[in-house]
Amino acid sequence: MEILTASAGSYPRIGSTVDKQKHRQAYTQLEKGEINREDFERVQDEITKEAISEQTKAGLDIVTDGQIRWYDPVSHLARGFEGCEINGLLRFFDTNFYFRQPVVKGKLHRKESMLKREFDFAKGVSRKPVKQVFTGPYTLAKLSINRRGDDFQGLVDEFTEAVAQEVKELAAAGVGIIQVDEPAILKHPKDFKILSASVEKLAARKGKARLALYTYFGDAAPLFEEMLELPVDVIGLDFTYSPKLPAEVARRGCEKSIGLGLIDGRNTRIEKEEEVLKIIKRILPSIKGRTIYLNPSCGLGDFLPREIAFEKLRNMVAIAKKAEEMI
Amino acid sequence: MQNKLKKLGLKLPPLPTTTVGSFPKPPYLLEARKKFDAKQLRESELRLLEEQATKEWIAAQEEIGIDVLVDGEMYRGDMAAHFAAAMSGFKTSGLVRSYGNRYYRKPIIVDEVKWPHPMTVDWWKFSQKLTKKPMKGMITGPYTMMDWSFNEHYPNRKEACLSLAEALRKEVKALADAGAKIIQVDEPAISARPEELRDFALEAMKIVTKGIDAYFICHICYGAFEFIYPDMLELAVDNFDLETSNSELDLVDLFKEHPFTKDLSFGVTDVHTHVVEDVPTIEKRIRKVLEMLKPEQLWIDPDCGLKTRSREESLGKLRNMQQAVNKVRAELD
Repeated sequence: MEILTASAGSYPRIGSTVDKQKHRQAYTQLEKGEINREDFERVQDEITKEAISEQTKAGLDIVTDGQIRWYDPVSHLARGFEGCEINGLLRFFDTNFYFRQPVVKGKLHRKESMLKREFDFAKGVSRKPVKQVFTGPYTLAKLSINRRGDDFQGLVDEFTEAVAQEVKELAAAGVGIIQVDEPAILKHPKDFKILSASVEKLAARKGKARLALYTYFGDAAPLFEEMLELPVDVIGLDFTYSPKLPAEVARRGCEKSIGLGLIDGRNTRIEKEEEVLKIIKRILPSIKGRTIYLNPSCGLGDFLPREIAFEKLRNMVAIAKKAEEMI
Repeated sequence: MQNKLKKLGLKLPPLPTTTVGSFPKPPYLLEARKKFDAKQLRESELRLLEEQATKEWIAAQEEIGIDVLVDGEMYRGDMAAHFAAAMSGFKTSGLVRSYGNRYYRKPIIVDEVKWPHPMTVDWWKFSQKLTKKPMKGMITGPYTMMDWSFNEHYPNRKEACLSLAEALRKEVKALADAGAKIIQVDEPAISARPEELRDFALEAMKIVTKGIDAYFICHICYGAFEFIYPDMLELAVDNFDLETSNSELDLVDLFKEHPFTKDLSFGVTDVHTHVVEDVPTIEKRIRKVLEMLKPEQLWIDPDCGLKTRSREESLGKLRNMQQAVNKVRAELD
């Protein structure tokens, strides 16, 4: 048994001081046509390095590229498909963040490989292992408008097929952990069979990588037992919504590795050590999987100021050190 | 609710027209706000320009023939941050992403939230003096204040929301005491977590409005009504102001299934497009909703604040709206 600290996904692009606003300035320049796409990508590279270096400085065992290049968790991938247009803004679940909604009008074809490139860059500039995080096919389909006239299953199938190719390429590139985010399932538990079939197809292409399924923005307790049946190596849970979740995990036990989203990724309040340790202590005896990942409840990039995000991660690392003493 | 309006001494024509709250700030005011932020302009100087812009917008509403006026919010930035800055118990965060390249400073609740003093009454009095038509009092509601803030103080969302409700009730009371007869409580976030409506959002609204002698309008924008309708009809207000033209009027279908039991301020022009809808288009929208509701239940307005439109677009939309209403009104008599 090991406890590792990990990022859950995105990291804030900008900070509050002038020297931390390069991404925002470059974006404005790009929109005004003052710089070209290549110039902008160079800035995104630079900010990706910054995000990785801050996560490393905070002491994380596993980092991400911070999803600096992601316009939002949905349209970033949807833009990479033929057959898909990007519509207006819609609230991202119950957050204060807005994403652009995909409208699917034709058969979905991946224009080109998307995530491997992002992973290769991050791996090249990180001292720490890089986890690749992306929104899963079920949630992509759920947050899209289907104008093709076929049913939801058809849409999930096509997103799944494309994402499975991404998984295959990532595995071949040597990714350690592939994290698929499927937050939408918590609001639509009746779709679990659809999700399950989709996850199976991704798992078939994961090669030697560990496949993690993360959910957030809802109560995971009612679905926890079913999630354990999925062919994945890690289950990631958001503990900020459900006071009953620790009891459910302790009751059912967990033979898989588990991602504990005990650090609230959407609130500036810095967690108190004892409140987090209390929950870890309670569920620790029931975890039989190889690894406990301590991570924020969701990616931080779209919800917190950068300074607070860093402070949260540093605090989380300190808490993990204390938790290790309990093993 | 016509009785309530009558009891308050308000005589409004059928299908009263109003607007949701904000208007675009004129260029001279935008310039002045920048200078003020850079500490190159005194507060008193900024205030004079805000008053000038407010006068201009009140004159414009009168000229068009709007029935229930607003002050246009020339002095406001963000609708939650504006109140958070005035109340005690809040501080401001660093930059948080809203979408794309848009960032804002989100309020943080760091201590018990308290009503400091009247926050909107000064502006309300100033504006009401400029017109004989009723001027709406305007506050941001407790659920939205809670949902749009970080919470470092209260143990959960419910306690944060109910404390905000207690504080905001004092503002509503102060407005009513000053003479405001129509008060709008903006709750754009109210459908964020549908289960919380019954858990505490209904209770919060009751705290804000109960026993206060005024006609209450609750403005809700950007959608997802299907999750809280018809339960939201239990909110302790008289009138719902709903964004509808931007959601292809799907509310009308909802009303067929569950009758709408309160008054409705029906949004007939889309504030998110530069296009100024022509009079027949707006007329058609009004007639469509009249198939579902009685005329005495219905108010007409744009579907949200107009602050992101230009002055010309705003005036065009309002003129056409008023003309469309006048046409439909003529047939009602």
